[in-house]
Amino acid sequence: MTPEERESLVAAVTSAHRDRGPRGEIRGHRAFYDLDDAGRREAFEATLRVRTIETAADPRALSSTARAVLARIR
Amino acid sequence: MIDLDAHLAAIRAGDADAFGRFVAGAERGVRESLRSFAAHVDTEAIVQEAFLRVWELAPRITPDGRPNSLLRWSVRVAKNLAISEARRARVHGVDPSTLEGVEDASPTAPPDPLLRRAIAECREALPDKPAMALAARIESGGAEPDEALAARLGMKTNTFLQNFSRARKMLGECLESKGVAL
Repeated sequence: MTPEERESLVAAVTSAHRDRGPRGEIRGHRAFYDLDDAGRREAFEATLRVRTIETAADPRALSSTARAVLARIR
Repeated sequence: MIDLDAHLAAIRAGDADAFGRFVAGAERGVRESLRSFAAHVDTEAIVQEAFLRVWELAPRITPDGRPNSLLRWSVRVAKNLAISEARRARVHGVDPSTLEGVEDASPTAPPDPLLRRAIAECREALPDKPAMALAARIESGGAEPDEALAARLGMKTNTFLQNFSRARKMLGECLESKGVAL
């Protein structure tokens, strides 16, 4: 895997979009399973920073995770 | 001190806006509580599933008399989900201490105006394509996959992801130059 491919996988995992399984469960992102342990930890830390940016950009201080959750209950 | 249980009565009554305010303050603490699982399970999926379960079960939650009982309960739900998922995926070597730390989770204050302004200024300084990729992610709010966002911007998915990565890095460097650490 090239550094660029790895970086793209990390970027993909930072998305809050997740598919649902047949029983309605939220599935892990397929890019997550293509990363090694270090890449997965990097994606975790990157997601924390991205959510902070999203929160600061939203008038209600909602991250994309929060908005995805609220979209499912409304 | 912030006590997110201030939203509990409204949440139990089915007020989704109140739940949104709770999630805004609880999300970081819940996510950080899953750090030790980061190499084993997709914590984003766990965080979302945990909040959905908290919403469904909130009418049955009885506060324990201390502040932020709903936050502690959310952390417990998230960790149990992560353990179940790790077992399902036959992950070995998850540290038993991962169940500790429920008491440590603390609520997050809303972003202060200075941080908001710094991030807005740094976003304005981004080149066009990275700025477009970042904006698409923020506006989507997790509703669409990157493939759809990329197609709307006329980019291949990989190009979109590279632009998003550039935006993230440049934003981080810009904020650092302003003395802001995310």
